[in-house]
Amino acid sequence: MTKASMTHTPIPAIAATLIGAILIVSLSIFMGSYWTVVALNLFMWIALTQSWSLFSGMTGYISLGHVVAYGIGAYLVATTFKIIPLWLSIPLGGLAAGVFALIVAIPVLRVRGPYFVILTFGLAELVKFILLYTETTFGKSSRLLFGAPKTETLLYWVAALAVVATLITYFVGRSRFGKGLAAVREDETAAETVGVPVTRLKVLAFAASAVIPGMVGGLMTMRSTYFDVLQVFNPTISFSIVTMAIIGGAGDARGPILGALFMLGLAELLWSTAPQLYFILLGLFLIGFVLFAPNGMIGLIKRRKRSSAGVAS
Amino acid sequence: MESLLSGQLLFAALVLGGLYALIALGLNLVYGTMRLLNIAHGDLLMIGGYGAFWCFTLTGISPLLGLPIIAAITAGIGIALYFLLFRNQLSSGKPIPQIEANSLLLFFGVSVVTQNVIALAFSATPRAYRYLDDVYHIGQVAMTGNRIATLLISLACLISIILILNRTMFGMSIKALIQNRDAARVVGINVERVQLTSIALGFGVASVAGGLVSMAEQISPFMGFPFTIASFVVIIMGGLGNVFGGILAGFLLAFIEIYAVALTSANMRSILLYGIFVAVLILRPQGLLGKARQS
Repeated sequence: MTKASMTHTPIPAIAATLIGAILIVSLSIFMGSYWTVVALNLFMWIALTQSWSLFSGMTGYISLGHVVAYGIGAYLVATTFKIIPLWLSIPLGGLAAGVFALIVAIPVLRVRGPYFVILTFGLAELVKFILLYTETTFGKSSRLLFGAPKTETLLYWVAALAVVATLITYFVGRSRFGKGLAAVREDETAAETVGVPVTRLKVLAFAASAVIPGMVGGLMTMRSTYFDVLQVFNPTISFSIVTMAIIGGAGDARGPILGALFMLGLAELLWSTAPQLYFILLGLFLIGFVLFAPNGMIGLIKRRKRSSAGVAS
Repeated sequence: MESLLSGQLLFAALVLGGLYALIALGLNLVYGTMRLLNIAHGDLLMIGGYGAFWCFTLTGISPLLGLPIIAAITAGIGIALYFLLFRNQLSSGKPIPQIEANSLLLFFGVSVVTQNVIALAFSATPRAYRYLDDVYHIGQVAMTGNRIATLLISLACLISIILILNRTMFGMSIKALIQNRDAARVVGINVERVQLTSIALGFGVASVAGGLVSMAEQISPFMGFPFTIASFVVIIMGGLGNVFGGILAGFLLAFIEIYAVALTSANMRSILLYGIFVAVLILRPQGLLGKARQS
């Protein structure tokens, strides 16, 4: 009983998220520049995967093209660098990503199931190749970005976005809006029949889930100090997001955090010494989780809790 | 404008069309009979390419003679994956959309693992070999021996598979399963055996196409993806599960691609491919040529 009532007040969740983020940020800066970059990557993946989860985790429409938001944000920030100040261009990058999602939402969201999955992927690649074509036509295949902010500054911002994304996923999950999205996942036709405004909910969540990745893309392009279309629209980013969400468990705000921690831990162990082995293991883990634990690590934890509670009573 | 009417482009389009039709046929068989979306399909092509490469450079045996062995190896991979990953999924009674979504994720895992195992084993450096690259002239058209061989072999494979599907009991049971799963079971078709053959045939055919591609183009562990996308474009245009529609669509895509690139520039190729892909999915997800009957 006490446990159930505790999960109904949001204060512990908010406090845990904030304290966790502040601890990781200060600890990583204290431990030096290597760990600052590790923490930056961690928060980047958390922010991206939480945003993905906001739409795909809740509605069950798996997007394999989330990198498009990241890339659009990065493109806007890189092309306006030194013209528009960063405090303005980064939110604009998020806005541009959101507007793009809003524009394509209606036609794209009519497509369902596996067609939707491959369509999102194809759309992201299409945008990538169009921008690549534009850049090469204007003779700007890559742009150097001198005078970008320090890694610590970027870390604060990306960490803040990760916290915001986590809290959004958490609160949307508890809200009426979230219940509507869950209804879409369970049975879209039935939900529509009983009066859930299915299309409006889907479009809204789709657009909202693009905003934070757009801003993250803008910030992360500052980190790499040069901009290259192929790099910021790399489909591996979309695939990594989906893999983390599946391994961690979508539809629960703790899932993406676990997934990001897991993937980053694996990357720390293997990335520099055996990058291929890292990808092989990642692929095997993805297969394993889809087959044996479709609700991810968070699902496993919940199941264990439930069964131990069952034994106790 | 003159060059557009030349036989050169026509020949290029036919060669590419034969390849697209063949690759997409494999994807279509696997999707049609089992509703599995194989986004690792292009990686089978890559395996076929490496098979032909090693066959030729290590033993000096013609890659063309190596094709049956390569096809047998990837068919074996298909059968192994069927038992390891998909058999339980297919018999679990899960709704089809869920099987499709899961298969997409599982094959994505397979794709990542395959690419990186090959990169680990043979390094990520692109490789190439020279075989049958003498130029022949027929009229005004110059063609290399390996492209002629590619066209002939892909046409031969396509024709024999069509004959198998139309003229043999077993081929008809594959078609029956594509058209209506439950009815096929009711009339006494051994569904499991048909599924196994389809995955073996689909995987085998893809690696044959890969062996053909490797004679004229560089191979690398990450070469498969554009082929995966092209074959998805083809089978969606032809109507998912519609084998003959897919073959027509393979040639259609190749003609669009070759002629549009000739009219514009090589940089437009990817925009075109993905543009068609997105447009077809949004405008006519049931395919340009209609749809195979769904169960």
